[in-house]
Amino acid sequence: MAKVVETKETKKRQEVNRIIRAEDQWEPIGATPMPEITDLRNWDMRLLKTYKPWYAPFCDLCCFCTYGKCDLTECRRGACGIDISGQQGRIILLACCMGMSAHGGHARHIIDYLIEKYGEDLKIDLGDSVAVEAPHIRTVLGLKPETLADLRTAIEYVERELVHLISSLHTGQEGSYMDYESKALHASMLDHVAMEAADIAQIVGFKFPTSVADTPLVDAGLASLDSSKPIVLVVGHNPASSTNIIDYLRENDLYDKVEIGGICCTALETTRYSDRAKIVGPLSRQLYYVRTGMADVIMTDEQCIRTDIAEEAKKVGSALIATSDKACYGLEDASERDVDEIVKEMVEEGKQFLILDHEKAGEVAVKVALKLAPKRKKELISEAEAQELAKACRECEMCERVCPNLFSIGHGIRQVAEGNFEPIREIFSQCIGCGKCEEECPRNVPIFKIMQVAASKETFKVRAGRGPIMDTEIRNVGAPIVLGTIPGVIAFVGCSNYPDIDDVAEMVEEFARRKYIVVLTGCAAMVAGMKKDENGLTVYEKYPPSFDAGGVVNVGSCVSNAHITGAAMKIANIFATLPLRGNYEVIADYILNRVGAVGVAWGAMSQKAASIGTGCNRVGIPVVLGPHSSKYRRLYLSKKGEDDWTVMDGRKAELVDTGEPSPEHLAYVTESKEKAMVLIAKLCIRKNDTPQGRAVKLNHYISLYKKYMGGGLPEDLDLYVRTDKDLPIVYKREAMAYLKEVGWKPKPVLSLPTLIGTYPSKVSLEAVIH
Amino acid sequence: MVLPLHRVNVLTGIKSAKVLEDPAEYAGWIRRAKRPLLVLGPKLAEISLNGKSLLEYALEIAKAANIPTCATAHIKGKMAELGATPDCQYDLVEIANRLNDPEWQGVRKEGNHDLVILFGMRTDMGNQALSNLKHFAPHLKTMTLCKYVYPHADYSLPNFRKDEQWKGFLENLITSLKEEK
Ligand code: SF4
Ligand code: SF4
Ligand code: SF4
Repeated sequence: MAKVVETKETKKRQEVNRIIRAEDQWEPIGATPMPEITDLRNWDMRLLKTYKPWYAPFCDLCCFCTYGKCDLTECRRGACGIDISGQQGRIILLACCMGMSAHGGHARHIIDYLIEKYGEDLKIDLGDSVAVEAPHIRTVLGLKPETLADLRTAIEYVERELVHLISSLHTGQEGSYMDYESKALHASMLDHVAMEAADIAQIVGFKFPTSVADTPLVDAGLASLDSSKPIVLVVGHNPASSTNIIDYLRENDLYDKVEIGGICCTALETTRYSDRAKIVGPLSRQLYYVRTGMADVIMTDEQCIRTDIAEEAKKVGSALIATSDKACYGLEDASERDVDEIVKEMVEEGKQFLILDHEKAGEVAVKVALKLAPKRKKELISEAEAQELAKACRECEMCERVCPNLFSIGHGIRQVAEGNFEPIREIFSQCIGCGKCEEECPRNVPIFKIMQVAASKETFKVRAGRGPIMDTEIRNVGAPIVLGTIPGVIAFVGCSNYPDIDDVAEMVEEFARRKYIVVLTGCAAMVAGMKKDENGLTVYEKYPPSFDAGGVVNVGSCVSNAHITGAAMKIANIFATLPLRGNYEVIADYILNRVGAVGVAWGAMSQKAASIGTGCNRVGIPVVLGPHSSKYRRLYLSKKGEDDWTVMDGRKAELVDTGEPSPEHLAYVTESKEKAMVLIAKLCIRKNDTPQGRAVKLNHYISLYKKYMGGGLPEDLDLYVRTDKDLPIVYKREAMAYLKEVGWKPKPVLSLPTLIGTYPSKVSLEAVIH
Repeated sequence: MVLPLHRVNVLTGIKSAKVLEDPAEYAGWIRRAKRPLLVLGPKLAEISLNGKSLLEYALEIAKAANIPTCATAHIKGKMAELGATPDCQYDLVEIANRLNDPEWQGVRKEGNHDLVILFGMRTDMGNQALSNLKHFAPHLKTMTLCKYVYPHADYSLPNFRKDEQWKGFLENLITSLKEEK
């Protein structure tokens, strides 16, 4: 029997070896090249032992199959046997699979498109300063990708795993919430592989910036587009079509005559391609901007786009072209038709089309915009007009009931009627642009139109996304990050479902000023640049673009998130010389215990955000989420001092009860930005910090606590002080008095903290010693 | 079932809050609890009723019924401005994560709480924390003092149309709790 198993395993391994070209000797192969669902399960279970899933069900029921609906309250089980925790884990896995497949689909599409264009042998070259080109693909698969074909190999692996993961969601499959979580972690790890493959393909295929820090500053804001020119608005995430618009403009000498603006990640991608394109705003400004009618042509691609955008475009007379097979909106497929015919029907008959040929879509967009613009009137309403429109409001508050951000929007409208525009301005900065208020209004008050008077007329500067962190930068900051003297790397990522749009810029400012390394992607990267200080500067103008203490780095779009987790992996690889190849557990363990990185998805909305965050968690990076994210239903929380924080001292091969909850949580939701900032500083603490590094980190933790929590010292300070050398000088006296009061005792300082050796694993303790 | 004001909180399910608006009845439930806990949210400092901040109401309730307080988010700072100190600091999800553990000894180390009163959170996040407790803390009753229906609580106030009604309720609750002392 043992022999049969062995042969099967050997065969499987041979197949893996073939795919990852095991004979290439760039690094030894670790324990888990191309892991399948259960291969990293023990690592997951170890994480989840400390960071237990915390569930807040949105719904008491399950309605997934015809046995149901099943009531899952009070320990009841569904007709299939599942309980409420299992069902939550199942929903989380579903969300993570959706998120991962959105990036996987994006990656697959872009890679196939570029292979068609340039051939599968197009070399992956990320410039002089990025030799470790694909830390995720190297670590997870064990493959060093050299060409577009290798990126396709990575995506094929992701696709194969996805089928198994989704199948486990079927009725009568997985029964344990812990295993659902392990699968969610697996799906989300693969999400980072997919994002990395997508973005490397984009960088190579579209010649996006790489191996550079000071990418251009591009114009941003609702007012950045010159409305006297024809305007093409691109919405979504996939740059295949928007880059073709720019190519067409360049080739036909039209770039001065047409404005290109983007919403959501396509804006970031398009500005990586051409710094003359503009970032109109995050996804929360989508419907608002569409309804202003400023766009002559709207071109959609994929993900996070209003699904009724075709109808909305029609209402305001904007032409619309859909370009993705993921979002066809019921439109006629004109991919094979003649350009001039399409243009004629769009301009004269107001027809909308699906065009899957990206080159053709680009040409059509420009031609239609040029023809349509002179016929259209594009202006925002005046304050007087807004006041008149607002008079219809009876302050019935129906709008407030449906607002996801819980605003008293009716009150703001009523104030406009009375000539006071301040409340509506404030609401606009908190509005996530869903349009539900206007839909609900029994008096048909055009709330979005009225909001035009609230929108800022200013333009801002956002640094174009720069792609991967450079190996040279990692070499410089590796030691200070791991020792703790750079207090942390903080990544502001994700969507714009914020309590307030200004929050992100304020948090970025706080941490950049304190000399953390701040990295950003996606909508968070845009809104960080949409606030000016008293000197009229945005954070991108104020802080250097380098991955170094006090730097503010726009990495790029959603798929660029892989470069952030990738940077943490590169620290393990380049600084600590741990091999990446098929070595996921060792790398994740290193990051969890040594790299003070924290993700902040303050406005996370999408399923992609769920998988991005959960992927960060598997690789050892904690994530802080804004209040809306309580609706994801699941967090990973420890119970701080009450939990067991025993780790292995790698050098002595001894178990040590550190009693130190670092990092305290893996996935956490909080209600206010003030609390978030205090927590972010705390979550940067790692067991590996040197006394000097710990003192720097505690200095910020204490000072932020004093600033936002009304003075005093953090009540859990004693848990993070190992010896008195950990205490920052400025607070030493006060802190010592507190420690004495609570009966603090010195704790061991570890030189090589690791979880390896504390749970069953194929990885030996030697593997973590470098 | 009474609909919550904010539609995001509409219950999909069957176990919904009992909506009460009689302060004496509320006071009765609080009095019957052996180890109640009052959880304070950041909105308490943002809202005031006739010039008196909600935080002051909350502190009066705690005092009248000798209930320990838990400060979430950054409300501790606002309490300090009023010269008050919370009995403990846990964020909303953290306190729920303690309360759902029957072995936890509670803020006063006298055993886990049997009643938790939420006051001053965003309604969406508050309702989610209450969902966690509804499903995973059967040993505990939950109650809210905000002017909105929280379907996942055991006892909730109705959607008060007017702030005066809410103010009246809170004042009468304080009086009832004082009387019962
Ligand atoms: S999947 Fe299970 S819990 Fe869900 S409806 Fe079917 S039987 Fe009920
Ligand atoms: S629903 Fe319409 S009428 Fe009612 S408060 Fe809102 S804007 Fe005014
Ligand atoms: S559009 Fe803005 S104000 Fe209106 S319901 Fe949505 S978030 Fe609220």
